[in-house]
Amino acid sequence: MKRYFGSYGGQFVPETLIKALSELEEAFIEFKKDKKAKREFMNYLREYAGRPTPLYFAKNLSGFSGSSVYLKREDLLHTGAHKLNNTLGQILLAKFMGKKRIIAETGAGQHGVATATAAALLNMECVVYMGKKDMERQAPNVDRMRLLGAEVVSVDKGSMTLKSAINETLRDWVKNVQTTHYLLGSAVGPHPFPSIVKYFQSVIGKETKMQIKRKENRLPDSVIACVGGGSNAIGIFSAFVDSGVELIGVEAGGESLELGKHSATLTMGRPGILHGALSYLLQDEYGQVADVHSVSAGLDYPGVGPEHSYLKDKGRVKYDVCFDNEALDGFKLLSSLEGIIPALESSHAVGYLLKHKKMFSGKIVVINLSGRGDKDLGIVRSKGVLDV
Amino acid sequence: MCKIGIYLVCDYPNSEKFLDAVTVCEKYGMDFLEIGFPFSDPVADGPVIEKAALDVLKRENSNDFLQSLEKARNIFSKKLYVMTYSNVIFGYGTEKFAKKTEFINGIIIADLPFIESERFARIFDKYETNTIRFVTPETDFSDIDEIKQSSKDFIYFVSTRGITGGKFSMDTETLKKIEYTKKGFDYDVILGFGIKNSNDIKTACLYSDGVVIGMKAVEALEQNNFEQFIGSLKQ
Repeated sequence: MKRYFGSYGGQFVPETLIKALSELEEAFIEFKKDKKAKREFMNYLREYAGRPTPLYFAKNLSGFSGSSVYLKREDLLHTGAHKLNNTLGQILLAKFMGKKRIIAETGAGQHGVATATAAALLNMECVVYMGKKDMERQAPNVDRMRLLGAEVVSVDKGSMTLKSAINETLRDWVKNVQTTHYLLGSAVGPHPFPSIVKYFQSVIGKETKMQIKRKENRLPDSVIACVGGGSNAIGIFSAFVDSGVELIGVEAGGESLELGKHSATLTMGRPGILHGALSYLLQDEYGQVADVHSVSAGLDYPGVGPEHSYLKDKGRVKYDVCFDNEALDGFKLLSSLEGIIPALESSHAVGYLLKHKKMFSGKIVVINLSGRGDKDLGIVRSKGVLDV
Repeated sequence: MCKIGIYLVCDYPNSEKFLDAVTVCEKYGMDFLEIGFPFSDPVADGPVIEKAALDVLKRENSNDFLQSLEKARNIFSKKLYVMTYSNVIFGYGTEKFAKKTEFINGIIIADLPFIESERFARIFDKYETNTIRFVTPETDFSDIDEIKQSSKDFIYFVSTRGITGGKFSMDTETLKKIEYTKKGFDYDVILGFGIKNSNDIKTACLYSDGVVIGMKAVEALEQNNFEQFIGSLKQ
């Protein structure tokens, strides 16, 4: 397998992890060829996770926005977000490799819940690292993980968000690499993780392509997805990269585009090296990783998957921002118009469409609704969105 | 002769005390120094060094570190290395960083495995700064051969799985790999990670050419007994 997407990617990790990464790569290649393993994965996706998820024509939102809007309903997947596609896949891969212990990082808690779920299902020991700040703002997910039998470790160092959680998980992995699989939740990290996560998430794109052809007899004009690390986006984009469909990745504009107040890595960053990969990065002039902000814990991350950096430089995907308040508008509107409460992450994609209604006028647009928003009610309440 | 190297976080706890510590290392004849350039996300470091690094970063940036580094160079007469993370160099500009640190003997990049090292080594070579390579108990014999061939200075043997400040131990497989790394190699094989006291040093020195002490040195500095600690190591 190739270690780089163009000039992005690589394996910038301590030497101690290199053997484990090459073992993982070899196992992944075998796993993909193994018909039984593949059947097992597809079976879990169908019977347990609830795939395929619907591609729903959002009539009211379409009327409101003047375009034909389809929502890829990953929010309806078991545990309420697209994350389970990857955790089921990777946990089967870990089992295939004979690993008994699973560790994971989580930001919003969705990946942590999906990991704890898959670990419970396949009877694996599971430890999830989560920033202290995220544990506070996504408390219901902490309870869910514990109920599922996972140990949740609070990380009270650094930014106390997703970035610190990844640092801590990497440290655990360096120590326990022989027994433990690091179940990375986004399309980030050292090779082969970005390729593995993309492979397991590509089911989103494959289904969407078939469904839209059935409904519209053609491909959509545009596909919009939010981008934090970029796993739901790469999952849906992967089926359309070789077509002429316009692909739009929406990053968290946060409060403003001043460094420290947003998480718009591709829009505002420059190439750097963090968590094992060379990719766009929000950093200061000395190469220190910048503080970031987003109302959505899942997008609150200074890096991004290396393939997105490649797609940006190549000009194949357009990356743009949606600010906190615009995402909250999207959150509110989708709830009231369609009876669907979206995750704050996915609300950025909805908010982007609303902000650019004219641009999409008369077009067929697919939004990847990567997760549901029940987990976000606390933060939404604190932002005054629920006030009458 | 078994060499002892000391790791210090640049400008920790402050610039003055850091330079005092360098002076102590010179006075007690420490064999080499590794100066840590703080990074915001030091994944190869344990809590003690991480805390120290983040503390310094609240007040200073790489330009300050470069100034102190030059002063340290003038105080310390033996080999001086900088230890840091890829993005402290890449994000600052690799060429610029290499030029500004051209007076050091080598660069140690904690998150730069051999497989990715070429892009950095190429540039540091121009300034006669050696890129230090790592070997671990898991490194294949054929890779060790390659690493030895491309090394122009010591090899950092990561003897313990884990991060700085972990427990020091060596199993037979590790010893075999150390021996293989040493065989016919013109430079030193230095053990790091987990070495805390003169007992650990004695054990490590049975098999290697030297050791690096990091976490314990930083702790001693915090507890104001650095000189006593350094003095105790040579026994």
